[in-house]
Amino acid sequence: MIRRPIASTTRIILGLLSVALMLASYSWLSYRQHQKNPKDTTIPNWSQLSEGVQRSIQWNERLEDRWITDDAAATLTRLFAGLGLAVVGSCVLGIAMGCSQSVEAFLAPPLSFLAKVPATAVIAVFMALVGLGMKMYLTMIVFGILPSMAITVYQSVKTFPDELQYKAYTLGASHMEVVCNVIFPYVLPKLLEATRLMIGPAMVYLIAAEMLFGDVGFGYRIRIQSKLLNMGVVYPYLALLAGFGFLMDSLLKTLQKKIAPWFDAQH
Amino acid sequence: MPNTDTPMTTVASQPNIALECRSLSHWFGSKRVLHDIHLTIQRGQFVSLVGPSGCGKSTLLRAIVGTHLPNEGVVQVHAKEASIPPSPVKGPGRDRGIVYQHYSLFPFLTALENVAIGLKLDQTTLTDRLFRWGYWKKTRKGHLEEAAAMLERVKLKDAMHLYPHEMSGGMRQRVAIAQALVMKPEIILLDEPFGALDEATREELQKALLELYEENQQAKAAGELPDYTLIIVTHELNEAIYVGDRLIGLSQYWGWKGEGHSALPGASIVYDQPTPIFEPNSVRDFEIFEHQRAAVRQEVFHPKHLQPRIDPDSNTHP
Repeated sequence: MIRRPIASTTRIILGLLSVALMLASYSWLSYRQHQKNPKDTTIPNWSQLSEGVQRSIQWNERLEDRWITDDAAATLTRLFAGLGLAVVGSCVLGIAMGCSQSVEAFLAPPLSFLAKVPATAVIAVFMALVGLGMKMYLTMIVFGILPSMAITVYQSVKTFPDELQYKAYTLGASHMEVVCNVIFPYVLPKLLEATRLMIGPAMVYLIAAEMLFGDVGFGYRIRIQSKLLNMGVVYPYLALLAGFGFLMDSLLKTLQKKIAPWFDAQH
Repeated sequence: MPNTDTPMTTVASQPNIALECRSLSHWFGSKRVLHDIHLTIQRGQFVSLVGPSGCGKSTLLRAIVGTHLPNEGVVQVHAKEASIPPSPVKGPGRDRGIVYQHYSLFPFLTALENVAIGLKLDQTTLTDRLFRWGYWKKTRKGHLEEAAAMLERVKLKDAMHLYPHEMSGGMRQRVAIAQALVMKPEIILLDEPFGALDEATREELQKALLELYEENQQAKAAGELPDYTLIIVTHELNEAIYVGDRLIGLSQYWGWKGEGHSALPGASIVYDQPTPIFEPNSVRDFEIFEHQRAAVRQEVFHPKHLQPRIDPDSNTHP
């Protein structure tokens, strides 16, 4: 029989086993590499990795910087500013499109077109249009994720049953109240879900832009340290990015459960 | 042709009337759906609307709710005070409550919030809620208390904090009725409200409506205007006769040739009779109205039984 249930202890043991296996293979790979070339930094051993972590978190007197905090502050500010803009913008556009057929006719074609253009490919155009710096990163994230988020919100508004709209009017709602008190709460969990799914792409676009044009930030650091073959710094950075993505994902899931406990049961 | 002798608007409301349809006709392209419907519903009446499928029951109900206005004619809602002029229906409004079969509740609100939202939308504005926090907090407390009292009336005190997806179909329809009742509309429209429920739940809800009717009778006995007027659209004849006190049959099978039409001009009212009144606690015995059921089947539902429609000026049931 397929999908036969297993005991939860078995599940935990299997999970731990896979992680252990991954770490063990890495150690073995690194060991083999260091036998061939004791100075190798492409597959650093555990002590090299710990040196890399040290280097990232210590205060550098000469350059007056601390990589990890400087990079995190820069990247997170850009990411959250970009995400914030995209979430607010897609919510407004998506609801407007779902509520007004004129807005729908006007915006749906360009948005569905833009949603298909990979933002990374347009990066040179952005540079020419908005220049470098914060504006560039924001444009990159917003351009990359807003169109598809707006379309998600718009399609969610379209599934809103007419009966509920009519009912709201019989309960004395104004047009604006239907939008704010009925449509908005209805699409809110969908918006949160779209945000959760778009954090990954947003990071891809941001890191790509940082790699090309940044002077601080995760993308910049990873590019420079990769060039220097300092993988002892790069790998911990990657682990940190994965951890951050994981954290955001579970935070948004928790938030969604808390503010829209009704949503899961609907689907 | 629509009856042009009747005036289209009246200056003062007639408190004993809840709603009036005058010369209402509707068509979709070349498909004629409703023909010259005249219907006056007295305050306190429980009107059951039945008819064969495709007869335009839904079209008539939509015209009354105001979501899809008729091509011709007017629907007017009368107020309880004669000084207020009756308002012509131009769209869905708070003077008419509606209970749908599906999507009857807002899925993102609990039972209590679903009942209170009408009070919130009707009595406060977005500006109040955003900028007058103190006022809104106080008002909201009152609304929640009123909603809780209403839920207690429909016997859902213990389900107040459940979301619609956590409730049974019967509970949801109870909340939907409470949601409409709390607004004290001039008339409540129920569109196949119990169609998706099992027989036992259906009976409970029918009895809940009969309790409202009983309150109406008490108010009338005390010389007051009754509080609840409703139209229930149903495909179940037993339900129509049991819940209502007046049965309206809308049908496309009527003697339109006798009025000189060369093609069906649309469905019209062919049956309009009082039905026996039941008390909520009495035994629900459908055998009692076997005779009326047979008559309705013949006059409203039978494609071969063509008779003149009900005279528009006489179907007011004073």
